[in-house]
Formats: sequence, C-alpha cells, structure tokens
Amino acid sequence: MQTTFSPEQLRDPQVALSESIVRKCVHCGFCTATCPTYVTLGNELDSPRGRIYLIKDMLENGRDADKQVVTHIDRCLSCLACTTTCPSGVDYMHLIDHARAHIQETYKRPFIDRLIRTVLANVLPYPNRFRAAVAFARLGRPFAPFFDKFEALKPLGAMLRLAPKSLPKQTIRAPKKPSGEALARVVILEGCAQPVLKPSINTATRDLLSRLNIEVVTPKGEGCCGALVHHMGREHDSLEAARRNVDAWLAVAGKLDAIIITASGCGTTIKDYGHMLRLDPDYAEKAAKVSALAKDITEFLVTLELPKPSINPEMRVAYHSACSMQHGQKITEAPKILLKGAGFEVVEPREGHLCCGSAGTYNILQPDISAQLLARKVKNLKVTKADVIATGNIGCITQIARAADVPIVHTIELLNWAYGGDQPAL
Amino acid sequence: MSAEVFSPTPFNPIAFLAPRTNVLARRSTIIADLSDLLPKEGLVSEPRKLVPFETDGFTAYRNVPLAVALPETTAQVAAVLKYCHNQGVPVIPRGAGTSLCGGAIPQQDAVVIGLSKMNRILDISYEDRCARVQAGVTNIAISDAVSADGFFYAPDPSSQLACTIGGNIAMNSGGAHCLKYGVTTNNLLGVKLVTIDGEILEIGGDMLDSGGLDLLGLVCGSEGQLGIVTEATVRLLAKPLGQRPVMFGFDSPEGASECVSAIIATGVIPVAIEFMDKPAIQICEAFAKAGYPLDVEALLIIEVEGSDAEMADQLAMIVKIAQAHNVKVIKESQSATEAALIWKGRKSAFGATGRIADYICMDGTVPLSKLSYVLRETTKIVANYGLRVANVFHAGDGNMHPLILYNVNDPIEAEKAEACGMDLLRLCVDAGGCLTGEHGVGIEKRDLMLHQFTQIDLDQQMRARAAFDADWLLNPSKVFPLEGRAARAGKTE
Amino acid sequence: MMFTPDTEAAAAAFIGDCAKQRSPVEIIGNGTKRGIGKTATAQTTLSSSALSGIVGYTPSEMVISAKTGTPLELIKASLAENNQELAFDPIDYCGLLKSNGKPTIGAVAAANLSGPRRFVIGAARDALLGVRFVNGQGEIVKNGGRVMKNVTGLDLVKLMAGSWGTLGFLTEVTFKVLPLAQTETTLALLGLEDAAGIAALASAMATHCEVTGAAHVPEIVNAALLNGQFKGPGATFLRIQGSAQSVPSRLAFLQQRFANMESMVVEEYASRQLWQQIRDVHPFQHDYRPVWRVSMAPSRGHEMVDVLRRHAGLAAFYDWQGGLIWLRMEAGAEAELVRKTIAALGGGHATLIRADDTTKHTTPVFQVQTPAIAALSARVRAAFDPAGIFNPGKMG
Repeated sequence: MQTTFSPEQLRDPQVALSESIVRKCVHCGFCTATCPTYVTLGNELDSPRGRIYLIKDMLENGRDADKQVVTHIDRCLSCLACTTTCPSGVDYMHLIDHARAHIQETYKRPFIDRLIRTVLANVLPYPNRFRAAVAFARLGRPFAPFFDKFEALKPLGAMLRLAPKSLPKQTIRAPKKPSGEALARVVILEGCAQPVLKPSINTATRDLLSRLNIEVVTPKGEGCCGALVHHMGREHDSLEAARRNVDAWLAVAGKLDAIIITASGCGTTIKDYGHMLRLDPDYAEKAAKVSALAKDITEFLVTLELPKPSINPEMRVAYHSACSMQHGQKITEAPKILLKGAGFEVVEPREGHLCCGSAGTYNILQPDISAQLLARKVKNLKVTKADVIATGNIGCITQIARAADVPIVHTIELLNWAYGGDQPAL
Repeated sequence: MSAEVFSPTPFNPIAFLAPRTNVLARRSTIIADLSDLLPKEGLVSEPRKLVPFETDGFTAYRNVPLAVALPETTAQVAAVLKYCHNQGVPVIPRGAGTSLCGGAIPQQDAVVIGLSKMNRILDISYEDRCARVQAGVTNIAISDAVSADGFFYAPDPSSQLACTIGGNIAMNSGGAHCLKYGVTTNNLLGVKLVTIDGEILEIGGDMLDSGGLDLLGLVCGSEGQLGIVTEATVRLLAKPLGQRPVMFGFDSPEGASECVSAIIATGVIPVAIEFMDKPAIQICEAFAKAGYPLDVEALLIIEVEGSDAEMADQLAMIVKIAQAHNVKVIKESQSATEAALIWKGRKSAFGATGRIADYICMDGTVPLSKLSYVLRETTKIVANYGLRVANVFHAGDGNMHPLILYNVNDPIEAEKAEACGMDLLRLCVDAGGCLTGEHGVGIEKRDLMLHQFTQIDLDQQMRARAAFDADWLLNPSKVFPLEGRAARAGKTE
Repeated sequence: MMFTPDTEAAAAAFIGDCAKQRSPVEIIGNGTKRGIGKTATAQTTLSSSALSGIVGYTPSEMVISAKTGTPLELIKASLAENNQELAFDPIDYCGLLKSNGKPTIGAVAAANLSGPRRFVIGAARDALLGVRFVNGQGEIVKNGGRVMKNVTGLDLVKLMAGSWGTLGFLTEVTFKVLPLAQTETTLALLGLEDAAGIAALASAMATHCEVTGAAHVPEIVNAALLNGQFKGPGATFLRIQGSAQSVPSRLAFLQQRFANMESMVVEEYASRQLWQQIRDVHPFQHDYRPVWRVSMAPSRGHEMVDVLRRHAGLAAFYDWQGGLIWLRMEAGAEAELVRKTIAALGGGHATLIRADDTTKHTTPVFQVQTPAIAALSARVRAAFDPAGIFNPGKMG
C-alpha cells in the first residue's frame, strides 16, 4: 500500500518499522475473514485491515491518538489470526504494539478506564497482590450487576465475575534432580497469574520433565514476562519486565537448553524479547539469545523420545489452540501429536482459528465482545462431543471454564498423567 | 524485443464524477438523518473512521466517503436507499471491499452501504440443493457450512475466504473451478434486491426458471449499479468423490499454454487448469511452501475429479498430451493436505505478491488459441515499460491475470504501471477477448470500454441501467465512461 | 406481411423504419414456437430465417457463432462431427405444439430453451456467450463475446435469452459447447409413488455420481415412454453420462444405493431415446389438451400436483429432480387454480405452453409478476424498444 511518511518521520525507528509493515499490506482483505472482532461486529474498523488503515493514517499525519482511533485499536484482541491468514506477510503484531504504545503516550483515557488499567497493570503481574485481589473480589462479586449498568464500569463487573470463587492450594514440590546425567537442562517460567489460578500446570510440567530425566533449574529474580502490560501499551513496564527476566535467566550458571513456557501468551512475548529490546544496545543481543531459548512446553516435548504411555485413557480430547499458540508462535501440530501419541483421541472444533475472547485482560476491558466470542467458542467445542478440552494457555482455561460443560485442562496435565503422573481433576 | 519504436501510452489518471456540492453542503443533516435510520454503531461518520473506507483492493485510487452505513436488515438498506434517492445522494455498495478494479471505491459525496453486518446463512435445503444467505456472507462460509454434509458452493474466486456473496453477485465472480462449474451467474437462483427508491424486489427464487425477463441475469455482474442485493439463493452441489491437483512444469510459458489449448481441444475438460510463470511460482512457493517446482519456466496446476479410477483415466490422457508438449516435471499431490497447500498457494498469489512488490492485476480474457501469443506480447509490453510481471491465471478459460510489479511510492513508476496495464487490456481485446473475465470493470477499466464496445453498445447498456436508477445514484462513477454520459444515458419513457 | 432480411443491416434498416412509424413487428425464426405466448398484435412479421449460416466455429475453443436463422439441426450436426454438443440440450417443441419447420438457433436463445440437463449444466442462457441484435431503434448492438469468461459491462446476453423477441431482433448468437459424452446409461427405479420417486432423485443428487438426468414419471404417463416398458405405479430415472470407464462404476454405486428397490438399467441407445422423449414432452404430444410447464423448488413440485389432482383431472411428470413439472389438464387450463396452488406451496413459475387461442387470450400465458417487477420489466423493455414495436403483447 502507498505510504506518505516524510524522511524526517522515518528517522524514528519505530515509525520506520511501522512504515515497512504497512508497505507490505496490499489491502486484499483476507485478514478480515479470520478476525474475531470483524466476524462479530461486521465493521471494517474492527478488522485488521481497518486498524492498519487507522494506524497508518494516525502515524502518517503525526497525530496523537484520539477516541475515534483508540476505540477500535482497543477492540483488537491481538490474537494475530490475521498474521496466519495474511499472504503478504504483514507483521501486524509489531504494528499494533507500536500503536498501543503510541496511544499510551499520546492519549489520555477517561478516568475510570485509566484507573482500571492501572489496577490491572499493578495487580495481575504480581502473584501475591493478585491472590489478595481475588479474595477481595469475592466480597465484591454481588455488586457486579450494578457495574454492568454503566458502560464505563462494565470492566469492573467483568473483573469481579472472572475472579475464581476459590483458589487452589499451593503445593510446591521441589523438582527431583535427575539421577545420572540429565538429557537437558531447562528453566520453567514460573509466571504470575497462572501459579495463583492453577499451580497444577507447572507442577505437572516439573513432574513430567523430571521423569523424563530433564533437569529443571530455578532462576532467581524472575517475574512476570510483561505480556499483560505490553498489550496495554505500557512499553516502559514491559521492557523493564523483559530486562529483568533476561538478567535472571542468563544468570543461571551452566548451560541452559531451553526456557520452558507453559502459557502460550507468555511464550509469544518472550519469543519477542529480541525484537522488543532490539534498540537497547545493552540488551539487544542478550534478549535475542533468550528469545531463541524460549520454547513452549509442547514444542520442547515433541523433540524428545517419549516412553509408552502408562495408561489407556480412552478419552476424547477437544484441542483448543490458544491464539498465542497457533497465531503468535505458529505452533499447531506439536500439541496434537503429543496428545495422540499419549493415547488420546484428538478432535478439533470448527472455527478453531477464532479467539475464545480471553486475550489477556481483554475479557475484563471488552466484556461484551469477549462474551460473544466465548459463547461461539463453547458452542463449537460442544459440537465435538469431547470428554475434556485441552489447551496451552491459562487465559483460555479460565475463560472457557466459565461456560463449557466439560472440564478444561492444560495439555501438559494430560500428558503428565498419561506418562505416569497424577491424574488432573476432570 | 519488437523492431518498432515503443511509445508508451500517455497516462491519464482515472477521474471520478465531481462531487455534488449540494450534497457536501448538507453533510451534517444527511448524517443526522441517516443515523435515525440505523442501529447504534450502524453509521460511521467521524472523519478518522471514514478513512479506512476510502478504497478497496485497488488501492491506487482513494476517496473518503461522506458516511458509511452498516445496516443489519434489508429494511434498513431500503430505508437508507430511499433516503439517498430522495436527497440525491450517491450510494456505493460495499461487501468485503476486495474488488481489484475499484468497484467499491467511494466518492466524496457518497454514502457507502456496507453489507458486512448482514453475514448470516438463513436457510439450507439439501433436498432442493440450495442455500439462502445474506449478502455479507463470505463465499467460503457457504461451502464451510455444507461441507460436512457432502455439498459445496462451486464458484471459488481466489479471495473466497474474504469476499462476500453480495460482491460475487455484483461482479459475477468466477474462480479456478468455473471451467467445469460455471461462474456466479450460473450458480445463482435468486436475489432480494433493494432498488434505489427503496423498493424490495424478490427476483428468482429457489426454482430454476423464472418467467419474464431474466432480471436475475442482468443484476448479476451489474457492479452495484442496479440495486443492492441483501439476500441470495445459491445452488449447492454434491462434492465429487475425490479431487487431485497435479502440477505440470514446462520449460517455457509457450509450451505450457499450447498444452492447455491441446488439452481442451482433445475434449478432456478438467475441473481447473491454472497457469503460473516463474516469478509467480516463486512468490507463491515462498508463502505456501506447497512444493511447486522452482526450476521450471511455467507451471500448470490441473485438477481432476472423480473416483480414483476416473482420475487416473483422465490424468493418463492429460499426461500424454503434456508429454507431447515437452513437459519437464509432473508432480502429483500425495495427500489432501498437500492438495490444499497447492490451492492455498495459488489462491494467495495476489496477496503473496505483496511480499516483494506492489502490483496491479489485469483480468482480460482471450481465446485459448491466443494464449501463447498474448503471453509473449505481455512480456514485451511490460519490458518496454521497464517493469516486471508475474503471470498467474485461469488458463482453461483464457482468463489472464498479469500482475504488473512496481513501487507505488514512486509516482513515475506508478504511472507507468497503470499505463502498461491499459496496454495489456487492449492487447486482450485486440486478440478477440475482453477487458475483464471476472474482476469487473469498476473504475479501472472504465475508460477502455470504448475499446471493446461501440458507443451504441454502451448506450444500450446505459439505457438498461437507467431503467433501474434513472438518476445515476448507484455506484455512479463506475463501468461507463464519464464523458457524454448524461446526454446518452437518458431516462427511459 | 413477412420480411426476411438476409443481412443484419437490412434488418436494422427495416426496424428503424418500423420504429419511426411506430409500427409493431412480430419477430420469429421459423415460427415453430409461435404458438407459445400470445400472438403478437402486429401486421408485419420479421423472420430471421434468411440469416443463416455458421459464422465461426473453433472446436478447440469450444465456441460456436451462428446467424440466428441457422437451423438448430445444422448446428447440432456440425458439432457432432467434432464430438461436441450444446450441452443444455434444447427441447424441440414441434411435437408438443404440432408445428412444422426447423427450429432455429436464434430461437434457442430467444426462448431460453433447455433440456433435462438444465438442472446441472444450465439452460441456453448459461451457455450463451455473446449476441448481436437490432434494438427497437434500428441500432445494431453487440454484447458478450466469444470467450468463456466475460464480465465486461452489463450482461445483456442473459437478458436477451428468454426475452421472446420483445427486446430486440437477434441476428447472431455465440454459444459455449462441450465435448459429447462418450456414453450414457439410465437407472430406472420402478414402483415409486411421486413423493418417494422425488425423494430418490434428491438422494441420488446428493451423491458424487454426477447424475445428468433426474426424472420421475407416474404410471399414468409412463406408458408413453419407450413403448411402455416401465410397468408399475411410477418410474424414476437417473441418467449417468461420461466416459466408458466411469459410467459403469457410477451406475454400480447408484444400484447399490437403491438396492432395496426394484430397478432396471436402460442401456445407451434406449437411454438416449428415453431422455429425448422426456425432453420433448413426448407423453403429451398426442392430443391438444392444455399443457403447463411449471418451475418450482424440486421438493415441492409433487406436492403441488397432489393438491391439484384433488380439484382437476390432470396428468403430470417431473424432470430436473422434480423442479420441472409438465402438467396436462384433462379439460380446461384452470389457470387460476394452477397458479394459486403453486403460490400456496412456496411459489414458482407456470407457463401455459399449449392452449387454444381463446384460452390464451383470456389468461396470462407467462407467470404473472408482482407489480414492482412488472413495472421494472416494462422500463427495461422501453430501454431497448422505446416505441414498443417488438412482439407487442407476446409476454403479457
């Protein structure tokens, strides 16, 4: 597509990058077809092509973000289905990231919106704060319908509803050191919200890895990957999180074969650290190294020779591919190969490319669209007549569990069970 | 290179009708009135939000419209049309905005009516083998909805993932498989058409033959000039037992195109014969990784259908013909996944071209016997302009798609590309073909219409058009050359 | 007075004069279908019969162009020499209408004729690629062309097809042709009542077998087919065409699918004969009673016939998977009853193909349109023939 940036504008590396991204777009419209918000709302402005145009227009004219543009950028789930579809190779992810940072810098949100975003950014990435907040939300839940009455307060209602009624007990088992020489040496990203909501995921991961003779080391100083704030356009916070984790992981003594991630949302971001920090001379190289080490747990497992499964589950599993898994990281086959290899019957729902509406904080910030996507997802899942749903992202698990009539677990929980670990709660 | 001296065609940017100043002056009133006719979020009128609607798949031309209406029902479409008719406001229908000829490009004094919110499949009848759908349903959504039950909707334009059935009807879209199954008009049973005065007409239905004049046939392919289709009844077909695309690589484009003519002449009609030249093969392979042979100058993707035995039978005949034309490589798809990739690559060809350059895509059709000649001339013409070309097209029905590669940010090259495109279209007409096989005239080919038609031919079409829209409010800058139009199009009695 | 121009220019000049004088013209080819529709109220008749000859035929491009007065049989013969055919297999009305003469290729277009394959391959309109005609002002207009895919400008080709000479005088038509099927065979299912027969047709059409003929003929009618060899309450026909290699396997598949029914196979020669009889409405050729041609959704045609039977004597049979119903009324045409019944069952289009003159002049022959469509059609007609001189009243 034609662009009209001035040479001066293009001296800003962010603008130059965005320009090169927009230049690849041929406006063919393929992306609209697989965009969850476009198929839900039917407005080009809520499609990747429309947003690319809004962003291009805003950046070309050197304008601050305004409500007209922000409304539609905010509705983007960052599910990246468009990047899977796009034949032209438009790097939509980095364009929308730039737009979000630009909004954060140049646009003053209404007070309530600002408040909610500040709270989310300061609570979710911190397990202890999050745990406390969940307890608090339980008290507030009866007020949810009240908040729903006001457009601006809907996110509060959504937040209260999303908070789990109870939290699982934290049982942290120290990983067993493999006997003899380990096949590989890895770090598992501990995460922020996931260990609060579903500690069993990382427990299962650790159990399985140690049975497979993989050494799991625990780094010091690791924190949230930064994805949550990154998607809110809080560039400073997300880069801080990235630097902190880069430091933590590279400080691990000895050879590290992989950084294992059990939440695909985090995986997408960590694999992007190299890009996020490319302009930081102190971190560019280190971040790239970390990104290269980052592996989704299924991406890692599929490279290993696994033993024969120790159970015969006779179970029909609907595999729900998280957007960050299939579109963000383009991992589509590994989880299915692993589940099938472990003896499960694997089925895929129709419209598997569509987001479930979780998308980080999206189900809080855009509750109406999120609810429609959830309903559509659950309907498609139901048709599969599966006994259980498996997925690789905590966000999807929390979201889908609210509406599905069969249990939803992390893929690794099923795999761990099949290979001799505990049976997940089904 | 030909001996004659090359003189490039002078470049004339395509003009739109001058905006009606009396409409522009009433902008805010019109917007206020329209918003009363539409649901919440059904009207886009803020300046920033209108910009993304300024163009379609033909991005060289752009006009920000006055407003965009996104109705949810036929009644709302009718209300908006009636209002625009009464107020003398031009209307631009828009489906998914994938037109490659500028069919959905607005003008400043126009209200765009986008059908994107009307995206439901209303009714499927297997016993009558038809489906009734809203106009904003995508082409592929119809096949997706009936696929599990063994049916499909046949026309398959390459943009089928995104393009809407309403847009397909407006452009009478084709696709790779229309060699066997025909284009949109052959697979359309009925439409609900809203005329410019807001009247809702049912044309055709779920039966094959309708009495009276074939208005359905006239509406199909009328490029949004006769009314707005809000619902369509389309035919469904039972899926074949098997389908197998086979790739035939040749040392020269001529070899491949002569092979196509020979296949058709023998009376073997495959379901699809697609052609790609070397640049196109490379572009598509980079995106789809379908295993296209990269060491050939031209590739034919030929698809056969039926039982294994039937496919083998047909293939054997085709292989024999191909061998007589010095085929270099023959590659069969080994699995359904591979077959899907072969088609994915082909159908993404235009978009994938975006990875290496900007492009404009031409759409002339030529008689099969002229394929080889037209390909040769195309190369010459494009080279004379100092540009590059990738050819990827429906060879079985002679529907060329040269993609002229250029840099849109370079104004001189952009002008060259457009002028070159016009020359290629003239070439097709002069070879006994036509300006457009499936993309439509839009604004892109409008000013070449007199190369294919006489003024009398066009006047007759314009009078038929005026029978639907006497005031020329519907998509008015498209299809017919602007010059002298008002005097000729005259209202009918 | 009859004028038979031998050039397009002569026709144009003649029509130009008629337009100036606002003098109505009846347009015909060889007049074999003159009996369909109302007799045009014109003193002058313009016939295309002297505009004869194939203008261009390139078998390797599957396209034939001919002047409109060219006899259809000549076109068919030329095509057959090259193993090709008009795949839509136009009906020959001579038997039903008891008319003499050679139907022309122009009339195939002007009346949008088709045959049993219409429901899979389309009608004349679908194969018609290009036309030349003289409009009501005496101007020579061309539309479409000689290529398979063409969306340049408004598709007047479709509009001309089936316009029964009310929009213009066709002078040249170009059709897409297809290779002749190597062979064909028909599976006849025996003993089915209408509903079951139509259901069997739908079931066959949902298979991959590419059935190219799907007709159901009730007992009362089927005695007229192939010398009455199909006994029992009804005969349901499924035709398969294709290569000698593929036809037997598809037949076997269908036999398997309908293994629980009594059936017989109609071999190639007889099959061709059978479908020609179905195409030309052979069962109703031997009398003069009124005949309706009804187009409806396939699943509803037999319901319509069922209702009608309760109120009037009739014989009927079905083609196009049940979507084309040929109705012969035992006494009067019963136009009101027929049309009301069709409307009540979801709608359709009924054309009174055969009737005596009195009936034709007191009942609308073609389906009555809604006022909005009728008004629009009138405006379209005026765009071609502003003086209203072509076949006045023909489609009324």
